[in-house]
Amino acid sequence: MSTPLTARIIEEYASAARALPSAGAAADRRRAAIKALTAQGLPTSRDENWKYASLRALERLRFAPASSSATATTARVQPADLPAAVRGCARYVFVDGVFAPALSPRTDSGAAIVTQIAAVSAAQPPLATAASADQHSGDERFLALNEAFATDGAAIRVAAATGGAGAVPIELLFVASADGQAGASYPRVELHLDAGASLTLIERHLSVGSDNSFVNSAVTVELARGATLHHYRLQELGARAILFDTLTAALAQDASCHLHGISTGAQAARSTIRVRLAGEGAKLAMAIAGLGDRQQVNDTFALVEHLAPRTRTTQTFRGIAAGRARVAFNGKIVVAKNAAGTDSQQSLRGLLAGAEAEIDVRPQLEIYTDEVRCSHGATVGKLDDDMLFYLLARGLDRDTAQRLLKWAFLADVVAKITLPALRRDIEARLPGALQDVTLRELL
Amino acid sequence: MTAMLSIRNLSATVDGKQILKGLTLEVGAGQVHAIMGPNGSGKSTLAHVLAGRPGYEITSGTVTYQGQDLLALAPEERARAGVFLGFQYPVEIPGVNNVYLLKAALNAVRKQHGLAEVDAFEFLTLVRDKMKLMRIEDSFLSRGVNEGFSGGEKKRNEILQMLVLEPKLAILDETDSGLDIDALKVVAAGVNSLRSPERACVLVTHYQRLLEYVVPDFVHVLIDGRIAKSGDRTLALELEKRGYDWVSGEAA
Repeated sequence: MSTPLTARIIEEYASAARALPSAGAAADRRRAAIKALTAQGLPTSRDENWKYASLRALERLRFAPASSSATATTARVQPADLPAAVRGCARYVFVDGVFAPALSPRTDSGAAIVTQIAAVSAAQPPLATAASADQHSGDERFLALNEAFATDGAAIRVAAATGGAGAVPIELLFVASADGQAGASYPRVELHLDAGASLTLIERHLSVGSDNSFVNSAVTVELARGATLHHYRLQELGARAILFDTLTAALAQDASCHLHGISTGAQAARSTIRVRLAGEGAKLAMAIAGLGDRQQVNDTFALVEHLAPRTRTTQTFRGIAAGRARVAFNGKIVVAKNAAGTDSQQSLRGLLAGAEAEIDVRPQLEIYTDEVRCSHGATVGKLDDDMLFYLLARGLDRDTAQRLLKWAFLADVVAKITLPALRRDIEARLPGALQDVTLRELL
Repeated sequence: MTAMLSIRNLSATVDGKQILKGLTLEVGAGQVHAIMGPNGSGKSTLAHVLAGRPGYEITSGTVTYQGQDLLALAPEERARAGVFLGFQYPVEIPGVNNVYLLKAALNAVRKQHGLAEVDAFEFLTLVRDKMKLMRIEDSFLSRGVNEGFSGGEKKRNEILQMLVLEPKLAILDETDSGLDIDALKVVAAGVNSLRSPERACVLVTHYQRLLEYVVPDFVHVLIDGRIAKSGDRTLALELEKRGYDWVSGEAA
């Protein structure tokens, strides 16, 4: 598919690749990815699953990485620019996709082994190569874009806990600092949990310096038998940033993935999620909040595939669109032929908080077997007048009352955050951020 | 003495339908007034109009509260000025914490009076004290507003809010409905604890049962949008015996 955009990506790739080593597994992966991208091109708004994403913004952006060396990045970002680390977490900071050791305090991540992807020896194959996996409905083309250009990232491998010494929670802080017209940022995470291992991972994206960065991130997750992951994704990029992110996860037998997403930033954010419940009894709990104000676009496409018997999914989405924002969530659940006993529950709700705002929540079910329990609910509404009047009748001003109700609307997602330090941090940032911290701690 | 609340010739419509038809009522400080009447006579409409609920159109009349035009104030301004509506059907607001709402409401009133925000520790002591009176369990604090509450719990929660906010004028809309006798006594004790020479209370009720425990100074019968008869507490007893038809018959 040769479009002017694809042609430009290939051209930028050719000049960027000259500066990188041409041998080794990483180089092979880059070449395979650009080949796939050349063949497929990037999605267009004519693609069913991409009609809400801001694809036209890509025409203004540069695809070559903004930087490939740590020295260049640390000059742009100072430790004081970063939010306080979440208590009890080992923090790794990346600036424009490149590991920044100077910003990453020496930390002990316990049973987890965190490796800088750029430092992986040429002989050692990358942990996950998602681009080589089958391309279901072609929704992972931005993943291929990441694989073609990414030069660094975090590879995390967690062994099963022995004697109670589990992995310390890990916070990956991805800072976007480059101007989107100067170059892109390609954050990358390759996570593997061994059988029976568990990990809490915070993946956080924010802007320092330029607020108009172009970020294309990719996270691949492999959970071996019985592994448990709590994955928190916080998207707080600057007001003019453009983000495309792709998360792919594969769960083996009895593995369990708790995926929490809170996306509030960026001018346009598109999140593509694909979870494969490949082993019997694998479990996914997904709770995502997407917020838009002004002219923000916040679009999520989540594909969950039940590929084995007795696999379970709960999917919760809460979206709020204010101003002239557009918020969309497309939750597709596929139950394969041999996935008898599947249980999936979708609860997708949107709140319209502006006369010119738009919300689209869309549950989709494709079931190829009997003996399944699949329920879904999707609603879009406005703030409840009775609730609003109740709060006003107690003396709260209108603005506070509305913020509080928006807060309450998100409660189903926020309540699922089980890491207390993180939950407090998030509660302080959300639109109804007036819940009294002191008071709560007294209770 | 000027009345705390003076309603004159008040008429109001809902969806074009005339509900209140020239209602006049004076409530003085220190007084408890009971408003009784059959279903559909306009009791709840009166309570909602006084609290400023949207959806009602005032077609004539005035309401003066402590010398100011009550109808000109927004609902939140009325609340901060000391008007409290105890809802007949308190709404559930999952995700908004009970204690948070109580504190925000109290601080809104305090701000109105130029006071600083209440100290968190003092506040909790106050709330726990009032909760004891209303026989509300501690776990209530961390729950969502009215979330999963039984009918009786919701009503006790309304009275708890009233006790914390200490309004000048309490309008209780059928607070007694759906209560068993024990809960009724608890609610009545709460209302009585707030009786004082500088406060007033309007009890909207269907039955005279509540009035055995909260003894009113005046009883009014509301029929077809206006006060058809007024009297002292014995009027409630007579109504119980003879029914509202007796008053309607007399008024006609």
